[in-house]
Amino acid sequence: MLPLSLLKTAINHPMLVELKNGETYNGHLASCDAWMNVYLTQVICTSRDGDRFWKIPECYIRGSTIKYLRIPDEVVENYKDEPSRGQQIRKDQMRRGAGSGQRGGRGGQSNRGGRQPSNLSSNVGGSTNSIGGARPAKQQRR
Amino acid sequence: MSNVLEPLVNRNTLINKLNISSNYRKFTDTVSVITSDGRIILGVLRGFDQTINLVLDDSYERVFSMNGVEQVKLGVFVIRGDNVAIVGEVDEDVDRQIDLTHVRADPLLPIVH
Amino acid sequence: MAEKHQDKKKKETILDLGKYLDKKIRVKFSGGREVSGVLKGFDPLLNIVLDSTIEYMRDMDDPYKMTNETRALGLVVCRGTSVILISPQDGMEEIQNPFANA
Repeated sequence: MLPLSLLKTAINHPMLVELKNGETYNGHLASCDAWMNVYLTQVICTSRDGDRFWKIPECYIRGSTIKYLRIPDEVVENYKDEPSRGQQIRKDQMRRGAGSGQRGGRGGQSNRGGRQPSNLSSNVGGSTNSIGGARPAKQQRR
Repeated sequence: MSNVLEPLVNRNTLINKLNISSNYRKFTDTVSVITSDGRIILGVLRGFDQTINLVLDDSYERVFSMNGVEQVKLGVFVIRGDNVAIVGEVDEDVDRQIDLTHVRADPLLPIVH
Repeated sequence: MAEKHQDKKKKETILDLGKYLDKKIRVKFSGGREVSGVLKGFDPLLNIVLDSTIEYMRDMDDPYKMTNETRALGLVVCRGTSVILISPQDGMEEIQNPFANA
């Protein structure tokens, strides 16, 4: 269950979004995108210390400022029930895996150095592509 | 290879289970997440992506204080990867043996950016 | 060709700032600044031109605390990368705790 596709399933549902600055926004998710940017309607904004509240008809929030989102339980059930969900995501992941695997590998090696960490990070990034799949064989060699 | 590193390459490690989970095998392990603002959240890891955004199901926060531990139910929780400091697998047998009513601890401080 | 380009643009943004043109909007920035002003222009990167801009000042000792103090900034260009929140000013109002009995 990918976080961003779950979020897409949560469109038209109420949710709580907490920003990194501590403000929280309660509203209905109108739309979202691949950067986790969200557009909420019928919003109640709560200040960081929780003692001031604002009503806002609609607001756009940049994904990178989000700390977490709380989603109603039924959204997960909807997610499971969506027909052909598994197939769709698997395709989606293969596309993404091909691109991100390389990125993960490069990042791990240049940032961390040392055998163990770089091995781990490339594995996380490339979890769905052939690099990830080849991992058990590597382990046996070591 | 030293014994210390051995657990990291064991097939049962969290990271390997995460890889399996991305193949859409049902993944039902409880994890403990420490966020960069110092919260401790436990829940069943249902999914994640390459930026370590996490989906936790049946999650709850453990709020530590010198007055005792409070557990706050959160339900389905999507944590943005930026905000994740630690993800660890919870040994539920060990976890059940902890009597939280007797635990007294200060809350964690947030990470200073 | 032009139509195709338009399609792509639509995909890039879930926010149509066009509907706020010449309307008052509220913008929050990373770092905590907060302004409102009349939207005069924008681009897909969320760079924004605001006119008759007012900045809402924060407490000197507690940068997270809003005061009722404001200052006029006039015509400003907001850098898109530092914009974290956009909402219409119209219909925004401070209210009593709506979660009080929850």
